[in-house]
Amino acid sequence: MSKKVSRRQFMSYTLMGVGGFMASGMLMPMVRFAIDPVLQTKDEGDFIHTQHKVDELSETPIRIDFTIKDRKDAWYKSDVSNTAWVYKNGDTVIALSPVCKHLGCTVNWGGDEKHPDQFFCPCHAGRYMKNGDNVKGTPPLGPLDEFDVKVEDGFLYLGKTKPNTLV
Amino acid sequence: MNWTANDMDTYLQQREYIDTLIVPLLKVETKPENMKSSSSSSEFLMHLTTFIETQFKGRMMLMPPFAYTQSMDLTEMAATLSQDLSVASFKYVFFLTTDSKWTSIEMDGEVIWLPSIPLESMDPQLRKSIIEDQLRQVLPRFTEKWSEQ
Repeated sequence: MSKKVSRRQFMSYTLMGVGGFMASGMLMPMVRFAIDPVLQTKDEGDFIHTQHKVDELSETPIRIDFTIKDRKDAWYKSDVSNTAWVYKNGDTVIALSPVCKHLGCTVNWGGDEKHPDQFFCPCHAGRYMKNGDNVKGTPPLGPLDEFDVKVEDGFLYLGKTKPNTLV
Repeated sequence: MNWTANDMDTYLQQREYIDTLIVPLLKVETKPENMKSSSSSSEFLMHLTTFIETQFKGRMMLMPPFAYTQSMDLTEMAATLSQDLSVASFKYVFFLTTDSKWTSIEMDGEVIWLPSIPLESMDPQLRKSIIEDQLRQVLPRFTEKWSEQ
């Protein structure tokens, strides 16, 4: 049964093996580069833990302050405090950015006595509906931005802002 | 708006909306025994003005602080400053300071004097609420002027 491997065969197997190994060593990085976008892990966005329980939220927007720790601005590291207006719409949690779309002031819920169920910008009397939609006829030109929201262990996590999806 | 090139571009395009100038007046004491309290009050003033700026970004321009040492002549500084600031053509000018001397000096614009609160030993949460309280104190001064017209 013993089948002799001839010298020629042995040489060709060895060369094929080594050659294949070298070729793969060259090709693998190239293939990786080519399909890199597929391999990229989806960045979930850094969600920030807030001290607030989701059960405690209601239909009325409340102000939630949270701090982004160690944000890097080039070589400059700082803690950035941020604010969101958060409320529940049925079971979904909605978090809106307080930054006015006009010139960037901070808006307040019910800041205007005449419109207690709207967001109000004290700078130029801009108003927004509860879902962030800008009231026509006031200075803002677009709806308030929305935060990405995540709920984990009953606690609220806030992510990055995105253009309003409710309007 | 802050006194930065980017914000200044926005200001130059939106001058009819950004009509208020905030000028921090900062006393720098050079006597060693007063340096601690001087630094503490400058910290307070800068925290407060930065906070006011974020709240009213679209209506206020925050100037870099004007610093002076204890023996500088404030009456002269006030006169020169009033004159130069009038060139900038802001409708409302507010001077914020923790130095009580300014309350007796005539200026073009409103001088808002605040007692300094030492923030350095507070945790961030408390510091934030103190600063918010302070803003609530000065807010009527702003709205009063704004609603005059």
